[in-house]
Amino acid sequence: MIRLLLSHQWKESTRSSVWQKNLAVNLVLGFFMLLMLLYVVLLSVFLDKIIEWGLPGKDPVAVINGVMLYYFLLDLGMRFVMQELPVLSIQPYLHLPVGKGKLVHFVLWKSITSMFNFLPLLLFIPYALKMLPEVYGLGGAWSWVAGLFLLTLVNNFLTLYFKRQLAEKPLVTVGFLLAVVALATLDYLNYISLGTASGAFFQAMGQNPVWVLVPLLVLVGVYLINYRFLVAHTYPEEMRVRKQSRIDGSAEIGFLQRFGELGTLIGLELKLIMRHKRPKSTTMMSIFFLAYGFIFYTNKMYTDGFAMLIFPGIFMTGFMMLSYGQFVPGWQSAHFDALLTKRLSPYTFFLGKFWLFVPACTVAYLVTLLYGLMPNIGGKIMLINTACFLYNIGINTFVVLYLSTYNKKRIDLSKSASFNWQGVGASQFIMMLPALLIPILIYLPFGLMDNPWWGVAAMGLTGLLGFIFHRQLLGLVVKRFQQEKYAIAAGFRQA
Amino acid sequence: MIEVRDLQKNYNGVTVVNIPGLTVQKGETIGLVGNNGAGKTTFFRMILDLIRPTKGEVFSKGENVRSTEDWKQYTGSHLDEGFLIDFLTPEEYFAFIGKLNGLTPGDVQAFLDRFRDFFNGEILEQRKYIRDFSKGNQKKVGVAAAVMSDPELLILDEPFANLDPSSQIRLKNLLKDLKRQGMTLLISSHDLSHVIEVCDRIVLLEKGQVVEDMKTNETTLQQLESYFNV
Repeated sequence: MIRLLLSHQWKESTRSSVWQKNLAVNLVLGFFMLLMLLYVVLLSVFLDKIIEWGLPGKDPVAVINGVMLYYFLLDLGMRFVMQELPVLSIQPYLHLPVGKGKLVHFVLWKSITSMFNFLPLLLFIPYALKMLPEVYGLGGAWSWVAGLFLLTLVNNFLTLYFKRQLAEKPLVTVGFLLAVVALATLDYLNYISLGTASGAFFQAMGQNPVWVLVPLLVLVGVYLINYRFLVAHTYPEEMRVRKQSRIDGSAEIGFLQRFGELGTLIGLELKLIMRHKRPKSTTMMSIFFLAYGFIFYTNKMYTDGFAMLIFPGIFMTGFMMLSYGQFVPGWQSAHFDALLTKRLSPYTFFLGKFWLFVPACTVAYLVTLLYGLMPNIGGKIMLINTACFLYNIGINTFVVLYLSTYNKKRIDLSKSASFNWQGVGASQFIMMLPALLIPILIYLPFGLMDNPWWGVAAMGLTGLLGFIFHRQLLGLVVKRFQQEKYAIAAGFRQA
Repeated sequence: MIEVRDLQKNYNGVTVVNIPGLTVQKGETIGLVGNNGAGKTTFFRMILDLIRPTKGEVFSKGENVRSTEDWKQYTGSHLDEGFLIDFLTPEEYFAFIGKLNGLTPGDVQAFLDRFRDFFNGEILEQRKYIRDFSKGNQKKVGVAAAVMSDPELLILDEPFANLDPSSQIRLKNLLKDLKRQGMTLLISSHDLSHVIEVCDRIVLLEKGQVVEDMKTNETTLQQLESYFNV
């Protein structure tokens, strides 16, 4: 039975249209995935060296033992935001003569295959095998690893349970989260020390395998709680973690109404972003990326030059546009036929996109002006970011919109956001390149002739010209769109 | 109103639509019937410029639908859920469509009042997004939105499917009203008696070809039934 269910799962994923249709994309993604995993393993192998370098004179094993509990807290937080609940897939089996218990066990075991459960193994096993045998002996090292994996699974099942309770009894989840926060606060205020507890516990696991029983018992407990909860809630409508969508009247944004048709289109797009997880998290990311500059601005190697400041400038002031815009018009694939047949010209459609991007870039730009407060280099950053901002609204908006006409992959907005590669095609990889490279190419000749400021000015000026002539540039985009619209619409119709 | 010349659509060498010529006069009501795969939806999509024909043209009021967008001004259409914006509430969707057609919120409200019967209290003020409605109620939203701009030409793909019996009758009455006002209707349906009741002319498609094109009269239903009888 379980084997049959597993084979169905396998078929579900290999037969999903995303997987089948773009093998090339999957290969590229797989390659990057492997690369990432390789980095994690490498990090693990050199963990002791890194600690010796960062905290000279400390014992790496003790340091690691001390931070393990913090690591698991962080892991729990990440899971809460990103891990998905493997649930709905059992819906087609519920009316068949299969025991509910079996299905629930299956769902729970399936959750173990989440990537989150393998990350700690990759991150710590190489380290454990390299460093721990000489401290705890080989058996001790393995029991340390076993304890680590069991705690990972505890986190896994805690996440599943409390994420589900969020829909059922939100107070339970809120209480749990408050308890975690309280623990962290007490630790911060030095009333208790998680670090000491963590150090003592992991050391004990290394020295005496009996201690592994502690996480094992906790795991069994959490698993049973999950099991009992799920068995009692196998009804699809209860398992679905979608909150009952409650709508408070018509949420029109009054300000936008003043701009007529254009305002209506932008309002529609804003609703699309607000009411779906994936575009929302894509947009939220751009807030985090505003801090991207610190990586560059705190390094003297970068701040002495120009090119390496143009890059974060373009990225920060344009991140929302680049990340959201690369899937335009795929976001609207579900109602693309409507957009083509209703009384709406393609020009207005793209003009709406343009006027969505410009304010987004402007807001990001205004925030990046805060970097101007940085001593010594603040003025330079502000000027470069101004040029980057102008370039973004004048040229990159059109680069993004023009390349968007190559998007022919449907995006199903009801699917969750993280690790969802639906709608990702080759054009997404190619798109970022011109958007980031062309401004540097504009700057480069001036930079090589030792006139860097002229280069920055040229970039800004190009952008300004593009912005002034945005109607003509949009015309080019529309022309291209008219040729491609049949192929785009056909692609979007394929579920 | 609509003139089709030498229209063809091939997919991988298979011809799914092949109509050498078809003319629809203003005010005519045409019912398109045919089994699954006869090419009804593909034909509609080519009229609405959603699919590029392999060969031939569709003219709306004498202008090629591919070269201008003027037809959007006077054409209302609903083919499938792809014509709905499913993350809006019906009210928001109607407001959006109204806006595109230059209607004021008052116009939209007046229009919706006319549809109160048809909606049967299940569409408005439900505080639900369109995606959470049943297929039948989604169809009502789509049909209403298509009629909203008071178009000269109305194109509906299987408007009766998924509707409950009362709603089917209400829709039939609505379409007859529109016909009386002089609206040109292009409707596909699997329900022969409904489509004969509404339409003056029946076009029968089989494997993309027009095999029958007739004015409706008392014997039409029998004729069609004998055609479809296996």
